[in-house]
Amino acid sequence: METMIKQKIKEVKKGDQSAFEDIVSFYQNKVYHICLRMVGNSYEAEDLAQEAFIRAYTNLHTFDEKRKFSTWLYRIATNLSIDRIRKKKPDYHLDAEVRGTEGLDMYSQLAADQALPEEEVESLELQTYIHKEILALPPKYRSVIVLRYLDELALQEIAEVLDIPVGTVKTRVHRGREALRKRLRHV
Amino acid sequence: MNCNKEAIALMHQYLDGELYKDDERRLRDHLQTCPSCQEHFHELKRTTTLIKNTTSVSAPPRFTANVMANLPKEKKRKNYLR
Repeated sequence: METMIKQKIKEVKKGDQSAFEDIVSFYQNKVYHICLRMVGNSYEAEDLAQEAFIRAYTNLHTFDEKRKFSTWLYRIATNLSIDRIRKKKPDYHLDAEVRGTEGLDMYSQLAADQALPEEEVESLELQTYIHKEILALPPKYRSVIVLRYLDELALQEIAEVLDIPVGTVKTRVHRGREALRKRLRHV
Repeated sequence: MNCNKEAIALMHQYLDGELYKDDERRLRDHLQTCPSCQEHFHELKRTTTLIKNTTSVSAPPRFTANVMANLPKEKKRKNYLR
């Protein structure tokens, strides 16, 4: 797959804009996932994920093809999300958290007219709960946890995405995981 | 083994796939004799399972089409070539 992406990048660099479509299509869920887990709001996440791809497109000439494209792309998405969080007013409303779960609620809406099996409802509630607990982490822990469990990114790769030393990543993953352990132990 | 410092650090290394065989054995031996660390380890593993279970997020419909529609226009190079 990485070979296909490399080929597409070459085509885009040569001026074939349409080749970018396959790149977006291939990474859209992951980039959206990062943004959603970071900002918590599905509208904002969509906006950020769109912006991330547009930036990737306009800055593609700066991408070093010897490196992994996903690392570069995730970095753009993470940085945009962190910038957005910083700009946000600290007094955000209670319903912002609820809105953040809309991405998940959509599934239940789409699922069917008939009632969902109880355990599915439970697991949806659980997912929403976990999503909120991840959002409750300070951004520096949130970002490493999100990246760690998206694609099972290795610590070294997270260090490259966030441009911080691998030792720092390790500490943050450990602390973030401990914080979540305490919050999720009673679930 | 000191539970709070050493054992818990080893658990995290294990969860990040960074634990050497020797340390893995030491951790396993310790867990067999220490119920509170066993509990801690169980909670950590459960936490990671719960986090992984939330990862099925899909981008909204028409996401790719919207990105493509919002890209800057392709550069026209004809003028320069003439």
